[in-house]
Amino acid sequence: MTATTNTRRWDPVVKLTHWTIVAAILANAVITEEGSAAHVWVGYALAAILALRLLWGLIGPAEARFTAFPPSPVRALRHIGEIRRGEQAEHASHNPLGALMVYAIWSCLGVIIATGIAMAGFPPQGESHEEDRPAAYASAEYGEESEEGEEAREGGEGHEEDGMEELHEVAVNLLYLLIVLHIAGVVFETRRSGRQVVLAMLPRRR
Amino acid sequence: MQGRARKLEHRATAMTIVVALQALAAAFFLADLAGDLASEPADGHLIVEGIAAVALLISVVLGAIQIRHLVLAARADEAAVAVARGALAQLVQLRFAQWHLTPAEADVALFALKGCDVAEIATLRGAAAGTVRAQLARIYAKAGVASHTALLALFVEELIDTSLLHAAGTEGEKTA
Ligand code: HEM
Ligand code: HEM
Repeated sequence: MTATTNTRRWDPVVKLTHWTIVAAILANAVITEEGSAAHVWVGYALAAILALRLLWGLIGPAEARFTAFPPSPVRALRHIGEIRRGEQAEHASHNPLGALMVYAIWSCLGVIIATGIAMAGFPPQGESHEEDRPAAYASAEYGEESEEGEEAREGGEGHEEDGMEELHEVAVNLLYLLIVLHIAGVVFETRRSGRQVVLAMLPRRR
Repeated sequence: MQGRARKLEHRATAMTIVVALQALAAAFFLADLAGDLASEPADGHLIVEGIAAVALLISVVLGAIQIRHLVLAARADEAAVAVARGALAQLVQLRFAQWHLTPAEADVALFALKGCDVAEIATLRGAAAGTVRAQLARIYAKAGVASHTALLALFVEELIDTSLLHAAGTEGEKTA
């Protein structure tokens, strides 16, 4: 995962959204009680900040845009080749492997947010109960479920909430795995390139 | 020297925080609106709420565009300053060589250009104030100026001439 030329840093939007998302994930994984009102409020905040980052992917400066780091397995393989041969290519944005990781994390967050909202409902509220669920909402949830596929059914009992809960949990565990890989990637790239990859993501001091 | 770029960056950061807060507000507004829409038929109140939510979203987008301008302006500013700094460094080297400054004098002259006074230069170089004063006097003589300010003006004047009039070569020799 590469920062650009040695001194280039990420812009404030990328930095702020990154660390806010990290804080929100930590909060929901460690601090808030699963399904509590606080958990859901943090979840909505996470969704808002992620949306801001995605907007930035459309209108931000060149290196923050999606076009700067397309999800391309071919380029990722080529990049692995480069690493094997010990070559050092400059990347204006995330390196091709990092790009795949970024999209994987974002997709994972998308599933977590979708399933979380499906369980908690609008407006943001804690542990939801079927009975006070508006009918229109329940049907919207069916739509969700058919999209999310068989996995949702696995919960057994044919009870949609269980499916959502299961999917939420699976996606969260997948996210943990991705985060471990992500941090390992950052450490690896820092060692390999000798560039201050992490510094580029930290607030500027001086 | 990079005060302006720094200031633009700070503004971009501040603006980012504002826009992030707007995005948070927009998310909660929209979620609330979605809940209301699901539970009651759309009436005037909800329409107003909907318009407010859309306005908030638009302000997020406009704010983000504003941030992009600030970020790009800061980078352009940084690049311009880097070019100017490179040019100034070259000019300083060139003049010092032309004036045949000794290494010690060049050192002192550089501190003088950076804005240090005699006492400060003396401390920085671990020399006596008298020595520094004598060195400065020789530097002024070699450069053909009479004062610290005139020495500074020499470089400023030359830089302004090069960038605006492209006639520094002749103008520059007109010393104070
Ligand atoms: C990315 C950060 C998140 C993490 C790490 C996280 C983690 C978890 C975990 C571990 C559970 C327990 C699952 C189980 O074993 O049943 C849970 C439940 C829940 N989460 Fe999240 N979650 C996150 C985001 C969200 C979001 C964005 C929302 C909604 C907006 C949300 C809403 C819920 C709800 C409503 C439950 C309750 C499920 C139940 O027990 O009925 N979560 N979360
Ligand atoms: C909850 C844990 C984390 C998640 C979900 C996460 C997610 C992400 C995402 C999505 C990006 C892409 C940024 C963008 O383009 O908007 C990213 C980049 C980055 N993250 Fe993290 N991150 C986490 C933790 C960390 C930690 C602990 C560090 C510091 C060691 C870190 C360092 C970085 C760096 C340096 C980049 C830039 C990579 C590059 O230069 O291509 N992240 N992270």
